[in-house]
Amino acid sequence: MLELKNVHTYYGNIHALKGISLVVNKGEVVTLIGSSGAGKTTPLRTIQGILRPREGSILLEGEELTKLPPHEIVKRGVSQSPEGRLIFARMSVKENLEMGAYQRNDKPGIAEDMEKVFKLFPRLKERIGQRGGTLSGGEQQMLSMGRALMARPRVMLLDEPSMGLAPILVDQIFDIIRELHSEGVTILLVEQNARLALSVADRGYVLETGEMALSGPAKDLLHDPSVKAAYLGESH
Amino acid sequence: MLKKILNRGEIIAVALTAFLALIMGGWQIMLVAVLAGILIGLAAPHTKNAVPRAAAVGLGIGLVIVAITSFHNTTLNTLPGQEVIPPESSTLGTYLIALGLCVGFATLTAFIHNLHDDRKRQIAFIAMLGVLAFAFPFFEQCPGLKWDNFNFGDMSAGCSVKSNILWIGPVIVMFIYGLQAMGLNIVAGYAGLLDLGYVAFFAIGAYTMGLLNSQQLGNQIGSPNLFVWGFWLVIWFAAAAAAFAGLLFGAPTLRLRGDYLAIVTLGFGEIVPIVVKRLDAVKIFEPISLFIAQIMGKTGDAAAQASVCLVGCFGNALDITSGTKGISPINAPQLGDVYTFKVGEFVPWYFVALILLVVSAFFIFRLRASRIGRAWVSIREDELAANAMGIDLVKTKLTAFIIGAMFSGFAGAFYASFTSFISPDAFDFSISVIILAMVILGGSGNITGVLLGASIIMLIDRVLLDRLKVIINGVLQGVVFRDVASGPLSVFVNSLTDATAYKIAIFGLILVVMMKVRPQGILPEQTAARRRPQ
Repeated sequence: MLELKNVHTYYGNIHALKGISLVVNKGEVVTLIGSSGAGKTTPLRTIQGILRPREGSILLEGEELTKLPPHEIVKRGVSQSPEGRLIFARMSVKENLEMGAYQRNDKPGIAEDMEKVFKLFPRLKERIGQRGGTLSGGEQQMLSMGRALMARPRVMLLDEPSMGLAPILVDQIFDIIRELHSEGVTILLVEQNARLALSVADRGYVLETGEMALSGPAKDLLHDPSVKAAYLGESH
Repeated sequence: MLKKILNRGEIIAVALTAFLALIMGGWQIMLVAVLAGILIGLAAPHTKNAVPRAAAVGLGIGLVIVAITSFHNTTLNTLPGQEVIPPESSTLGTYLIALGLCVGFATLTAFIHNLHDDRKRQIAFIAMLGVLAFAFPFFEQCPGLKWDNFNFGDMSAGCSVKSNILWIGPVIVMFIYGLQAMGLNIVAGYAGLLDLGYVAFFAIGAYTMGLLNSQQLGNQIGSPNLFVWGFWLVIWFAAAAAAFAGLLFGAPTLRLRGDYLAIVTLGFGEIVPIVVKRLDAVKIFEPISLFIAQIMGKTGDAAAQASVCLVGCFGNALDITSGTKGISPINAPQLGDVYTFKVGEFVPWYFVALILLVVSAFFIFRLRASRIGRAWVSIREDELAANAMGIDLVKTKLTAFIIGAMFSGFAGAFYASFTSFISPDAFDFSISVIILAMVILGGSGNITGVLLGASIIMLIDRVLLDRLKVIINGVLQGVVFRDVASGPLSVFVNSLTDATAYKIAIFGLILVVMMKVRPQGILPEQTAARRRPQ
């Protein structure tokens, strides 16, 4: 479905991604883990076209995304729940969700998806008229994910959904990721909480200072001694 | 003690209208009474007894206003330098009507304000304001209207006494500025792009009207009426020209962010009047015509050279804009052969401006609720997230810029025709700032708020300060310096207390106080969901 081949991305002169390659197959949840500062958000921004890779290519079902502007990439079915949620604070919950469907024109389909989102996150329906900025952190994360789902994405990029949330809310959010997985949504999940991420994912990649250190099925990575030591806080 | 009886909104209403009554006196007692009634109705609490309470408060405030007006008429108005109030405006009948208006509007507004159904409330408010806006020129023109001499175009012709203290002229200008404030609200309020050179589009709209609906260009080439295309046609060209200028200015600059964009727009705002100033002696003759003449072998012979002259040969440089002298007269609109608008006959102008304003407000309101409107707001809220949602940032910002410019173009075209005279001085940087102040004061992102901001600032600018100056001078000469009426001391004090000279300082003070007390503006932006509850 989504494939990154030897992608190099720079922030000015800083070489942030040093040739990473990654594959997400249809219906899969793939996670990208790594310590903070490893450059986990950079691949997502590169996929969405907000950053431009200097080298390498990004393919969505064989179609080259590398040269396309962000709105064209969204149109082709890549949506994102960005790091820090980036809710539109002074727009209502409903308007936030409508923004997620910005590139779509099918009114009945949008209404249908909005119902789906409300089924997934009943809390949002209660808050429908409220301003996004007045929601709690957990609700904002739900809104951000709901907003990404409104694009009816072929691939959904999820950046740090657990960030800054209480453990009980994190569990809720990850239950929803499992639910989405069972419904067949393709997800690329970037997460610092490696244990949790690997527990919901099919496969995982480990990013270390801009390079892929390790990859494999999530179960194997959970038991990999080096991963255990570095990211799961276990000694062996 | 006052606080126990009245709530905060009512106290503001009292203070404001009492002040207005004091300085306007009998001339505008009806307007002040209606304004007081509306304010009291809006300030009424959402309780069961709101309507009777508003009526009672309205009666009390009405009495206060009548008392103050009467004081103005009998005391202040006898001071030197005042325009004598006609007897019609200080009769018991006038006072009773004013009292009735105050109570009536307080009751009506409180009733509407307490309607539960949002939709009904909105429609009722719009209907009330519509009736008021329609009736305004009929009761505003003079204290006593004589119907036997009635003239729609110039209602003051039917007045028993004519007044210089008319509000209709300032109100028309207020509509023009309100239109601009709504346009700037799209750019600065919705899309969050700080535009400090918004006056450029106003100037372009005005000069399009000035050039294509006057004899300015025609006189240069010997057929005066060649470029007199009529108001109704040219106003569209003016809007299109302004919109095109928006595209031209926006395309290269909208990639910039925040402060940088503000600086560039500031530059455009300065460039346009300067270009206009310099377009008074255009010679395309010199390099190009000479060159062509040379190619055709017509050198040396002045007459031969003139035969291939393009524009502005020899001493006859083409004067496009008349530079600092400005263009005048600019033709007024015509309604077929039936009626031609005239300078000073305000009522037809008033209705054209009103229609322009109302249609634009409706259009902008619908735009905000549409897909593109949401996109503008989302860019203001978070550019990165908007980009991630699939919004084409440059295109969307450019749309805001173009549509905002278009409304300023309409305003400029109307302004040029209304005043019949334009010069570069009318498109100073301070206009950009004043329009921005209207947006911020009223409530950036809220159309009603922006219009309110425009009304407040224009009323202070065009009406209140002038009246204040007359009254302060009257008090000084008639009470304080009675014996030195023409002495150097009184001249000094009079110029020191000239309220109009403090205009910009007063606007600045208003902005400072607003930022401290209510930074979101008088009427803050509402989310769409509050407008359309589920």
